[in-house]
Amino acid sequence: MSDFFSSNFDTLPKALDASALSNTIIAQNLANVETPGYKRKEVDFENYLRKAMGDSDDLRMKTDNTKHISNYPNDISSVKPRVRTVEDTLITNDGNNVDIDREEALLAANTIRYQSLSRLMDMTISGYNTVLRGVT
Amino acid sequence: MLDIFDTMNISASGMTAQRFRLDVISNNIANAETTRGENGEPYRRKTVVFSEVLRDALGKSQYNSIEDLNGVEVSRVAEDMRPFKMVYDPSHPDADGEGYVKMPNVNVMREMVDLIGAQRAYEANVSSINATKAFANAALRIGRG
Repeated sequence: MSDFFSSNFDTLPKALDASALSNTIIAQNLANVETPGYKRKEVDFENYLRKAMGDSDDLRMKTDNTKHISNYPNDISSVKPRVRTVEDTLITNDGNNVDIDREEALLAANTIRYQSLSRLMDMTISGYNTVLRGVT
Repeated sequence: MLDIFDTMNISASGMTAQRFRLDVISNNIANAETTRGENGEPYRRKTVVFSEVLRDALGKSQYNSIEDLNGVEVSRVAEDMRPFKMVYDPSHPDADGEGYVKMPNVNVMREMVDLIGAQRAYEANVSSINATKAFANAALRIGRG
């Protein structure tokens, strides 16, 4: 039986961590908005998690040996957010590619994501509370 | 993983850097008409150069992991080496034999544009701190029902 709560306890903390990491990365990007040669960083997490949950359209490379390289993570616990540096865009001619408006928008979206994820986590825990105490 | 206060420190370093830039811009505007500086030359426009700070034990300035991220710093204040403006004003005490005065290479319009840029960058860092605060508050509400 797939149980009601435990999947939330696996995925939600992962997603919360990734969102917090994303916040740090955006803070770093915004702090370096005028730094010559600075390249913006971003967190690649959602695609990866989607793959782990079997909800991705990407082709899976066949692996029948543990030494084979897999482009899909094995399970949710092995999903780690990865930070990548975006090198191929240019905003100003001093080599910096931070777009302040875009980062602000990402920041706002990420804050809402974190708040809804933490709300979901909260609701999961209250679900347990309801089961333990019973509905009064 | 960096904690929430490290993230705030990153934004704070950005605010400090932009404040410094604001000081330099104010200094440029204040000295837009200064024809005699310390070395007898007119005032030269100053600009700040920022650089990313990476906390690295080996002293390499290269990004390796998320723990290295540590905001921004002012690496140096550079002088604008563009030539001074020559203004014809024979009544000026600093005028040369032909009546021309060397004026600072400060363009006030340009400084105002920079000022707005610094202000916007400062505000971006403030909103980043506010977002981090919202994160902390949201996390503290988990389990409260």
